[in-house]
Amino acid sequence: MADVVLSILDLEKIYPGGVHAVRGISFDVHEGESVAIIGSSGSGKSTVLRCINRLIEPTKGVIELRGKQINTPNADVNNVRSRIGMVFQSFELFAHLKVLDNVTLGLRHVRGMSKSDAEKVAIEVLERVDMLERINAYPGNLSGGQKQRVAIARALAMKPEVILFDEPTSALDPELIGSVLQTIRGLADEGMTMVIVTHEISFARDVADRIVYLDNGKVAEEGPSSIINEPKTDRLKKFLSSMHEDKIIENVKKES
Amino acid sequence: MAARRVGVERIFSWSALDEKTRVGLLVCIFLMVAVAPAIGQSIESGWEFRESGTEQNLNTAVIVEHDNTKTIWVFGNQGTMLSSNDLGNNWQLHEKITDSNIIASDSYAENVVILSSDGGVFVISENGSWTYLGKIDSTNELTDITIISEGKSGIIVIGDNGNIWKSSSSSTDDDVLEWYQASNPLDSKLLDIAFLDNEKGIIVGEEGTILYTEDGGQSWDFRESPEETRNSDLVSVGFYNPFRMFAVSSEGQILSSTTEGAINWNLVEIESHGYDTSLGRSINSIEVVSASIILFAGSNNYLSVSLDGGNIVETNLIPQDVFSSFNDHAMIDYQKGIVVGDNGVILWTDTSGKNNLVGFEIPDYNNFGDFVEYSDDMLLDGFKATVKIVGFGILFGFIIGVLLAMLKTAPATLKSLIEGKPSIIVRLVGGGLSITGIYLFWNGFRGFSELQLNGIEYIFTPVGDPHGFALFGIGITITFLGILFISSDGKFSKIKLGPLTFDPWKIRPLNSIATVYTDFFRNTPLIVQFMFIHFGLSLGMEAQAVYENIIGPIGNDGVDYFLLGESAFISAIFTLGLNSGAYQCETIRGAISAIPSGQMEAGRSIGLTYLGTMKLVIMPQAIRICIPPIGNEMVNLVLNSSLAMVIGYAELSRQGRLIIAVTFQVFWAWGMVMISYFVVTWTLALLLRRLEEKTRIPGLGISGGS
Ligand SMILES: Nc1ncnc2c1ncn2[C@@H]1O[C@H](COP(=O)(O)OP(=O)(O)O)[C@@H](O)[C@H]1O
Ligand SMILES: [Mg+2]
Repeated sequence: MADVVLSILDLEKIYPGGVHAVRGISFDVHEGESVAIIGSSGSGKSTVLRCINRLIEPTKGVIELRGKQINTPNADVNNVRSRIGMVFQSFELFAHLKVLDNVTLGLRHVRGMSKSDAEKVAIEVLERVDMLERINAYPGNLSGGQKQRVAIARALAMKPEVILFDEPTSALDPELIGSVLQTIRGLADEGMTMVIVTHEISFARDVADRIVYLDNGKVAEEGPSSIINEPKTDRLKKFLSSMHEDKIIENVKKES
Repeated sequence: MAARRVGVERIFSWSALDEKTRVGLLVCIFLMVAVAPAIGQSIESGWEFRESGTEQNLNTAVIVEHDNTKTIWVFGNQGTMLSSNDLGNNWQLHEKITDSNIIASDSYAENVVILSSDGGVFVISENGSWTYLGKIDSTNELTDITIISEGKSGIIVIGDNGNIWKSSSSSTDDDVLEWYQASNPLDSKLLDIAFLDNEKGIIVGEEGTILYTEDGGQSWDFRESPEETRNSDLVSVGFYNPFRMFAVSSEGQILSSTTEGAINWNLVEIESHGYDTSLGRSINSIEVVSASIILFAGSNNYLSVSLDGGNIVETNLIPQDVFSSFNDHAMIDYQKGIVVGDNGVILWTDTSGKNNLVGFEIPDYNNFGDFVEYSDDMLLDGFKATVKIVGFGILFGFIIGVLLAMLKTAPATLKSLIEGKPSIIVRLVGGGLSITGIYLFWNGFRGFSELQLNGIEYIFTPVGDPHGFALFGIGITITFLGILFISSDGKFSKIKLGPLTFDPWKIRPLNSIATVYTDFFRNTPLIVQFMFIHFGLSLGMEAQAVYENIIGPIGNDGVDYFLLGESAFISAIFTLGLNSGAYQCETIRGAISAIPSGQMEAGRSIGLTYLGTMKLVIMPQAIRICIPPIGNEMVNLVLNSSLAMVIGYAELSRQGRLIIAVTFQVFWAWGMVMISYFVVTWTLALLLRRLEEKTRIPGLGISGGS
C-alpha cells in the first residue's frame, strides 16, 4: 500500500453558535489516491475540508500530513496551507489580478520565486488546464468554467501534496461542468492526491478510488467506488436516489 | 457578483453636470462677484476725546470703586490731580497736594496711592482727602508704585539702580511709614511693577530685566528674558492670571509668558507686522485686559490693540486734532476705559480702542481692479498654503485610515494572542503589565491631587488634566490585561458577575485601540482638535525642536523649510490627517467587509499570511471600490482645512480675513476665497474620477457584475 499523505482521526467540529457540524470522522488518504466525499447539503463536508486546510480550527481530533500533526498551535499554518491546495465552489480568483498573476501570486510571495521563474511555472500549469490563451484576462471576463480551471491551476502551481476540491462544479452552468471535470480527471490520471467533495455522483464513481459518504457529521459508509452501484446502507441508497431525482428536476428546469 | 457600492453618496453632484453647464455656472459666479457693488466701509477712531481742563502732561491713571460707583483718577505733572465719577465725561480738578510731578499711581480696594518724583508717597481716599505716607529718601530716580494689601503696609516703590522699597508694617498708628529696601539680584533701572494678587508680582526694567516674586515682594528672583530683548528697556508689564503675563519694550517688542511662575518668556512674532518681532513704535505702557486682549500706548500719537496676545496688532485711529504721547490706561472692563497722555489729553473708549467700522464707501479699494491688484498675491499665497496642507493632510489621513481599518478588521483576540504560548511566559508578561499599569494609574492619580482642587471643580478633575486622565485610563486598562494574563490557566474561562457573563478573551485588542481612537476623533470638534494639537501639545514646535536637535537648524528655504519651517503647518497636517483618518477608516473598513470572505480564505489557502493576504489581495480590491466615498472624505478635508486659521496658519480663509482687514471689501474677498476653495475641491474631484477610471477592473466594484 502507498504512503499515507493525509490522515484524519476522530475529527469533531462544534461551531461557536453550537452547531455540531462534524461528529467524529476518521479516514486516510494515500499517495496518488482520489477520495470523493459525498453527502447531502449540511452534512459537514465543507467543514471537514476547511479543518484539513486549517481555515477553521477543529474542536477535537488529529489531522496529520505525512505523519506529522498539523492542528497544533506550534505547527506553521502557512507552510501547511501551502502544501495543501484548495479549490473553492465559488472559484475565489483574485478579482484585481490577471489570470497569470493569480497563479504566480503564491509562487512569488510564499515560495519566494522571481517573477520570471514564477511565470514559467504558471504557464506550465495553465497549459495543463488549457487556459494558456487567456493569461492576460481579468477573472471578471472569464466564464465560470474557465475561472474554475484557473483556480485549479493556482492550486497546482504550488506543487501541493494534496488538493482539496469543495464542490468545484456546483456553481457552474451544466454546459461548463464538463471541461472542469475533464481537468480533474486528468489530474487523477496523472496520480495527483486529491480529496473531492462533489455532487456529481457519476463523476465520483468514475474517477475516485474511494468514496466517503457523510451523513449528519459522521461517516455513514465508506468504500471503493463500487459502493455507488451497490450501496450497503439504506441511507446511502436514499441519498443516491434523491440525487438522481434532483438531477431530473434540474434538467427539467433548465429545459423550460 | 452583484454590482456593489460602498457607503456614502457623493456630496455634490457637480460631476453629473455636463461640461457646458459647468463652465456656464462658473462664469455666472465669477460675473456676480466681479460686478457686485463695492460696499466698502470707513474706519472711525474707537477713542473719543474728553475735555480734561488741564494742559499738564498726564502720567498715570487708576480706577477705584466705592459704594458701587467707579471713580477714575488721573495724575500728572506739577501735582495735577483729576477725578471723574461718570465714566470720564466730566473731570474735577483737585487741589494740589504736591508741586512735584506725580509719576505713578496704584489702587487697592478704596485706596489710591501715588508717587511723586521727589519720593513723596500719598494715599488718597474717595472724597479727595489725602494722607502723607512719608518720603522715600533715595538719591536714585523712582519710577513706579504699587499697593498690594489693605492698610498702608503693602506698598512697594521701585526705581533706578535696582532699588525696591517696601513700606514697613511696624507703625500702623503712625501715618508716616518707614521704608526699607527689599533684596534684589540686579542693579539695573526698574521701570514697572505689577501684582496679580498680594503674593505674585513682576517687575520689569532696563537691559531686559524681569524679576518675579511669590512672597509679596520680600524676595525677588531673576527671570531670563529672550535673547533679543536683553538690551531693551522693558517699560511695562501686565499680569492677567498665573498663566498670562505680557511685557513690552520701549521699542515695541512684545514678550509673553504662559508658564506659571513666569519661568519662560517668549518674544511674540507679530503676524500683522510681517512676523516682525517689534511694533517699530516707541511704547510707554501696556494694559492687559483679558487673557489675550492687550492695549498699547506710546509716543507720537500711538495707540493700538491686539485681540490675540500680540499676533495681530491693530493700530488705532486717533481722533482729529489730538496729538499726544500716551502714558497710561485705566480700564473699567475689557472694553471701557481711558488713556491719558501729554498735554492734558484724556481719551475714552468702549471698544477696547478698536477702530469702529462705519458703513459708507471708502475710495481705496472699491474698484475691482484695485482690489484684485492688492489681494491677488495674498490670495495666491493662501491658495498655495491650502493646497499644501490639503495635499499632505490627504496623504497622511489616507495612511492612517488604512492602518486603522486594518486594525479594526484584525481578527486577533486576546485568546489567539496567548494561545499556545508557555504559561510561565504569559504570567511573566502579565506581571510586567500589572506593574506598569499600576505605576501609570498611580501617576495619573497623583497628578489630580497635585492640582489641589477642593471645590465643585473636583468633579472635572480627570477631564481638566488630560494628561493625568490618559495615564489613569491607560493604567487601568493595562492593569486589567496584566491580571487577566496572570490568572490565565489555559482554559480561557469567562468572567461571571452575578447574572452577567463577560468573555474577556474575546476582546480584540487591536480593534479596541482603533475604536477608541476613531470614537475620540469623531466625537470632538475639529476646531478644538486643531487648538489642542497646536497649542496644547505644541506638536508643531516639538517637531521642529526634535528636528533641530537631531539634524540641525531649519534653513530659510529648501525642503526642510518647506516641511518644517512653520510650526502651524506641521500641527495643521497632523490634525487634518488624524481627523480625516478617523473618518476614512470607517469607509475603508466598509470596503474591506464588502470583499467576499472567500478572498481571504483563498489567499490563506495558498499559504499567504493574514497580513500578506490583506496587502496583496484584500486591500488592492477594497481601495479600488472605496475610491468614490474616500473622495468625499477628501473633499471634506479640503473644506475642514479652513479651520487651520484658528492656529494661525495662513491658508485661504485667514488670507481672506487679512485682505478684508485692509480693503474692507467683504463681498469680494469672501467670494474670491470661496471660488478658490471650489477650484481646489473640483480639481480634486476630477482627479479622483480619473483615478477611479484608471484603476477600474472588470468584475470589481461599481463597474458591475461578472
Ligand atoms: N461558520 C459557521 N458557523 C456556524 N455554523 C456553520 C458554519 N459553517 C457551517 N455551519 C453549519 O455546519 C453544518 C455543516 O456545514 P457544511 O460543512 O458547510 O456542510 P456541507 O458542506 O456538507 O453542505 C451546517 O449545519 C451549517 O449550517
Ligand atoms: Mg459545502
